[in-house]
Amino acid sequence: MGWSDAVQVAGRDVVRRRGRVALTVMAVALAATLLTALLLIAETARTRVLDQLAKGGPLAGIRVSSNVGDGDVTRMLALPDVVAVLPLLTTEVLVAPSAAALQVPGDASIRLVGTDLRDPGKLPITILSGRLPLAGSSTEVALTQSYLERLGLTEKDAPGLVGGEVGLSSLRPGRGAPITRWARAKVVGVVAQEAAPGDVVAPLAMVESATSWATGRTTVTYDGAFVVAAELDRVASARQGLSELGFTSSAPENLIASVQRYLRIVEIVLASIGAIALVIAGLGIANALFASVRERRREIGVLKAIGARDRDIRRIFLAEATAFGVTGGLIGTLLGWGVSLVVGAVVNGYLASYGLRRVQVELPVVVVVAGVLGSTVLALVAGTVPAVRAARLPARQALGEA
Amino acid sequence: MAICVRDLSHSYRSPDGPLQVLDQVSFEVAAAGYVALTGPSGAGKTTLLSVLGGLESPQRGQVWVGDDDVATLDGDRLARYRQRTVGFVFQHFGLLDTLSAVENVELAMTLSGAPRRARRARALELLADVGLAGRRSHRPPELSGGERQRVAIARALANEPRLVLADEPTGNLDAASAGLVLDLLELLPAQGRTVVVVTHDATVAARAHVRLDLVGGRLR
Repeated sequence: MGWSDAVQVAGRDVVRRRGRVALTVMAVALAATLLTALLLIAETARTRVLDQLAKGGPLAGIRVSSNVGDGDVTRMLALPDVVAVLPLLTTEVLVAPSAAALQVPGDASIRLVGTDLRDPGKLPITILSGRLPLAGSSTEVALTQSYLERLGLTEKDAPGLVGGEVGLSSLRPGRGAPITRWARAKVVGVVAQEAAPGDVVAPLAMVESATSWATGRTTVTYDGAFVVAAELDRVASARQGLSELGFTSSAPENLIASVQRYLRIVEIVLASIGAIALVIAGLGIANALFASVRERRREIGVLKAIGARDRDIRRIFLAEATAFGVTGGLIGTLLGWGVSLVVGAVVNGYLASYGLRRVQVELPVVVVVAGVLGSTVLALVAGTVPAVRAARLPARQALGEA
Repeated sequence: MAICVRDLSHSYRSPDGPLQVLDQVSFEVAAAGYVALTGPSGAGKTTLLSVLGGLESPQRGQVWVGDDDVATLDGDRLARYRQRTVGFVFQHFGLLDTLSAVENVELAMTLSGAPRRARRARALELLADVGLAGRRSHRPPELSGGERQRVAIARALANEPRLVLADEPTGNLDAASAGLVLDLLELLPAQGRTVVVVTHDATVAARAHVRLDLVGGRLR
């Protein structure tokens, strides 16, 4: 007897025992619902936490604090675990704002941070107001939180500073007093940044120009770089590569790894709760199949009398168990998604009341596959003992004739 | 198909010790014979039928059905013997209530691996032979006792067995239905099949060519 015939025979019997079958499928579905909902909630929470961590820059970001030349950038980029290298250059300048609101009290010296702004997503920069300067601009800058602090302002005041103008002066030692070169720049935004200590962020070329003029050298050595590894898991090997090239680096991967570990533990705990529910559902399947075997002893005997082999009988019961698993798993996974959406809506209401960003609950294909496949495998495992017992029933005994 | 039984003994365990149900039974049946196995309840008739049909292995003695030494068959070979060599007809019909008449007949061929189209054609032909062509889509609960037994006979013949074993085939039937069933069984020896019928009914036994009377596990 092939599997398709076994499924047909099992299917007809399932229809006959609708009540018990519905209860068994419901048990599997509820367990799959619980497992799916817990997994989706845990995964959503994990994504949210990592998103929050990523606000300090890409999770796979590495700070290189040694001096870096153009050749070094090329060598770093050649490392297999590195996808981007953003040079950092800082220089002291004098600031002379056009408006009093931007006037730094006391010493007018500020630190200008220059970096490659072509791909700001790879930098540990968060825009608080306005925008970042254009990468090729020589007349746009963004103020940092450090500048705000010197002004005695907070993030709330950031929008009022956007649009102002500042004069920036590079200093070159002269025979007597230093020589100054003034340039005007427009404040296009206010940012929080952790790339390098500094009060103003500017395009790299602008800071390079100021540094070259101040030092009188045509080639510039950067103060450091922000290196981005291909993945979070590859930060350690990227740092190893940087170390072998002679650079000192730092990265928050240990903190992130710890957070991830804790999140993983939460996931495991929640998944275990779901798994316990599935095991209970498995016992339900086994119980239903044992009852089915008891009720169908004579039928098993007849099947054996007309030539069924042990494996044919086994197939019929395993087909029935599979039907329980697939149906229950499918229904449960969809219900689990529904429950997650409801929980997500409740959580979003709570987050909204605190002015926090909403969470997005998604149903990854892998969860659907895991839910259905997991339920099916469980059903097969649970159905194995009853199926084997049915298959081993002696034909004469099963027929119930002495 | 000839049957040869030599010194067959069989016992069951019981709370009071072994219960001897067959004791040194020996007999021979020629091919295409029609045998009635009679005797009081507990005489060992059904056990003998089960051994002949491969539902139980002989504990002692020899049982030959055609070229098959039944005692040496086990597992898949025994299942194959039940598929190909033997056709069973039970007092309780042994039909699956969830399948239609034609599907019940097909089931025997499904187990022997016959192609779907061929087994459907053969099942319809067999139902026509037993006079149930018009009842092919009916399920057993929708059929009378006599009709169910005729479906069971059609199923028993599905794989062209050379030995048909019937255990009280008319036990649950009225006289008219029993007559129809016996008429069908009576046709089988002419087709080269050996028929063994267990019965309490003297009328049924009278229609057989040979009568074997079992008493206390021994042939009288």
